Amino acid sequence: MITQRGFVVTFAGVLLLTSGFSFVNFYLVLLGVYLVIGLVVTLPLFALTANLAGIEVDRQIDKVKVFSGDFLRVRVTIRNVSRRHFDFIEVHDQYPETWILAIGENFIASRIEPGSSITFSYILQARMRGRYHIGPTEVIMRDRLGFHYYKRTLKEQTEVLVYPTWKDVRRMEALGKQRQLGLMFGAHRTKTVGMGADFAGFREYVPGDEFRLIDWKTSAKTGDMVIRQYEMEKNIQVICMVDASGSMGNGYPENTKLEYAIRAAVLLTHMGLERKDLVGTCVFSDIVHGFAPPGTRPNHMYNVLEVLAEAEPKGWSDYETAIQYVVNNTKKRSLFIWMTDLEESPAPLLNAMKTLVANGHKAMVISPFGPWFEAPVGQFGPVEKVLSEAVSEELWERRNKIAKALAKFGIEVINVGPEDFLPAIIKTYNQAKQKGVAMF
Amino acid sequence: MKVVTWILRIASIATFSAMASLVYLLLDSNDIWHWNAPYDFVVTVFRLMSLVIFFLSSTMISGLASAFAGGELPNDLVVGLYNTLVLRTWYMQPYGVAGPLVNLQQVWTSFGANMSSVLTALWDNTFLFLYFLCAGIGIALFLQSLVKMNHKSVGGAFLSIQAIIIIAAFKLLTVPNLDPFPADFLIFLGEWAQILAIVSFAYLEVSYQMIYSYSVGKPVEDREETLKKQLLALRQATRKQDAIERGERVSSTSMSRTTSVTAFSFLREAIERKVVGTQDALENLDAVSDVRRLQIYVDNLLQTDSKARDELTAKAAAPSSLYVIGSTITGFVIRFLSVVAIAFILMSPAVITTILDLPIGIWNSMEILQPEMMLLLFLPIVLLFPFIAMVISWSSKRTEVVKETLTKEDKDLEKKRKKDLARRRKEAAKARKERKKARRKRRSETEVDEWDKALEDTYRK
Repeated sequence: MITQRGFVVTFAGVLLLTSGFSFVNFYLVLLGVYLVIGLVVTLPLFALTANLAGIEVDRQIDKVKVFSGDFLRVRVTIRNVSRRHFDFIEVHDQYPETWILAIGENFIASRIEPGSSITFSYILQARMRGRYHIGPTEVIMRDRLGFHYYKRTLKEQTEVLVYPTWKDVRRMEALGKQRQLGLMFGAHRTKTVGMGADFAGFREYVPGDEFRLIDWKTSAKTGDMVIRQYEMEKNIQVICMVDASGSMGNGYPENTKLEYAIRAAVLLTHMGLERKDLVGTCVFSDIVHGFAPPGTRPNHMYNVLEVLAEAEPKGWSDYETAIQYVVNNTKKRSLFIWMTDLEESPAPLLNAMKTLVANGHKAMVISPFGPWFEAPVGQFGPVEKVLSEAVSEELWERRNKIAKALAKFGIEVINVGPEDFLPAIIKTYNQAKQKGVAMF
Repeated sequence: MKVVTWILRIASIATFSAMASLVYLLLDSNDIWHWNAPYDFVVTVFRLMSLVIFFLSSTMISGLASAFAGGELPNDLVVGLYNTLVLRTWYMQPYGVAGPLVNLQQVWTSFGANMSSVLTALWDNTFLFLYFLCAGIGIALFLQSLVKMNHKSVGGAFLSIQAIIIIAAFKLLTVPNLDPFPADFLIFLGEWAQILAIVSFAYLEVSYQMIYSYSVGKPVEDREETLKKQLLALRQATRKQDAIERGERVSSTSMSRTTSVTAFSFLREAIERKVVGTQDALENLDAVSDVRRLQIYVDNLLQTDSKARDELTAKAAAPSSLYVIGSTITGFVIRFLSVVAIAFILMSPAVITTILDLPIGIWNSMEILQPEMMLLLFLPIVLLFPFIAMVISWSSKRTEVVKETLTKEDKDLEKKRKKDLARRRKEAAKARKERKKARRKRRSETEVDEWDKALEDTYRK
């Protein structure tokens, strides 16, 4: 392959040759011959030496699973396994478009001796959750004067799974440390009378009560037999139903409704695990894409993160299929927190809720309201402004109707925007703990 | 590598100077290097422009004047208006008139006589001007090539200088030539035209070698420089952040601004916003957190891995200067000798007739002395090289290891995943169908479901 530089020399050579022929000038012809011969004379030698199969590229990364926003070092080693020199070699290692090159450079240009290797590295910041590939690597080999080149793309790719961002958890932990919030078990325990250690009150003795629970002093004072009662510490089971339908992908990139729902699910799982509650997660659209059943195992968080990492906004919301799947795989009573934008027709949602309530579960809906996630109305022109307001009103009216229908069966709908999505989930969880909803 | 680049840079200056001075000396016999040629050209162009403007304006004025004067053309009025409006304001002196205009007809007559001489002067001056223009462009591009190390500038400088000879050849001036082409190789080497050709070719070769040396060494040096700047910017950003957290006032310095330019976008954003933003606002900035985490990550990396810094700068990739000098010289000599020898074989009529065993008629013809004769050998030989290269690259491709992008396990996993997805879709579709069927059945039983009722009630309201 001839490079641009090679074409310039060819052009100059042909120009001089034709000028020499036109003006019967041997000097111009001679110079033209020099240029053209100079261009092609080393070509066979270059073809002989530039055997790209002699170049091997090896890529290593520190971790194959990272959180969104984390840094990752990529080490690229180029080996010359042939017995020839490569005068000029360029190596470009490609990385996902959405990522940021934080430190270093992802390419190198140098010469490489036979049997030797070159190692270079660079640091990337993984942005946006999902499954990504680093690579392929493009190797370009040029001759010394840069007239000819050979190119080869090494298709080896390194897969990296990017979990949703961990920054919310970090923030909450930082806040917790500052305010000395109790993150230990029992900080927001359910006040249920039972077998706990803290005193809750007295009640009259009924036949069948254990004698050891009788408070003799109080019984003597009151003249009736009185039983001492204690608070019982119970945990709850929560399942996050994350809607990954196409409409959840609306909004600013990295700040879509789905992204917020995922961040909320991560936060909720983390809080649950800290307090020894069972938190499961289901990602669904027209099918169930992933389900991490409620658990407290140490690696449960990673199961949830993997399910959430691969969520892509597409398809439509089939609430019934999703709930059927989850109910079949869940034995205990749970609190279902739906994170859905309620932009599908209401009947399937109500049917899903019906199934849910019929199986003894509780539910609530945290619903991101579409217009709040999109461009602020202030950025629109007058026509767009009117249209967007009309659409907003229509959507608001619609979701109010759905909320009213759900309220009749004790299912609350909380409308949230980007700013109050995460506080809403924390509040909901804490309230559920205090009320003792879905205890197991 | 900087030393090698500098040596080649000096060689490039030397060869360009030799090429340019040879062109100057070899064309000097034509007396074309009039240093006032550019000035003459510009003056001639302006005189031609004044002629056109005079013609247009005097025609317009005479037309307007004749309209106001009832169809007659008052000569004095036109002359007066021209002298007042055009000559005084813009000093557009018509060609052939020294002072103010007296008689319009006289001037127009003089134009007819002088027009051809003006155009001839312009034609001659244009060529003289072009020699200087080409030389000027050539020198400018040559200087640019030394700084930018750009192959386009090198090619442009070479072509500009050679263009002087091409233009001179077009004007049938005495230019370097090898007519008749020498039959003896030593005589051929000693010809001035051949020396100029060799020097010109050497300029191209040396300049491209210079660019090679620069391109091989520079990226590694750049990497090191970039890394230093990035780390410095990072350090400053975290220091500033610490200072803000301590409640100190931070000002933007020129140092921080320049170093931040080289850093990545969010770091730059963090620095800029930190200077103007409040502490509360900064706490909410993810960028600030990113900068701090990056700092911790880099510090950790540099502490735990002793090779990390060298790998980031790719220090080991820097080629040895001695090898580059050695290979440059040997490559240059081999290419040079082979090019000169092949060119002589291709162009010498004696060699052509010997090799091709041409009939006596052609041997004695005038055509054998024409430059086009070289095409007989030139085209097959020139095409032979790429052909050999093509054959070699075809055969070498066979040895190329084609690596599979996915292993067998990966492929199986992918297949399994797709199968599972299809199964789930199928199940979901089946369940939907069943639900639909059940709903239809319920509807026919006219049993009012409380959920449906609730929804209907809500919509009715």
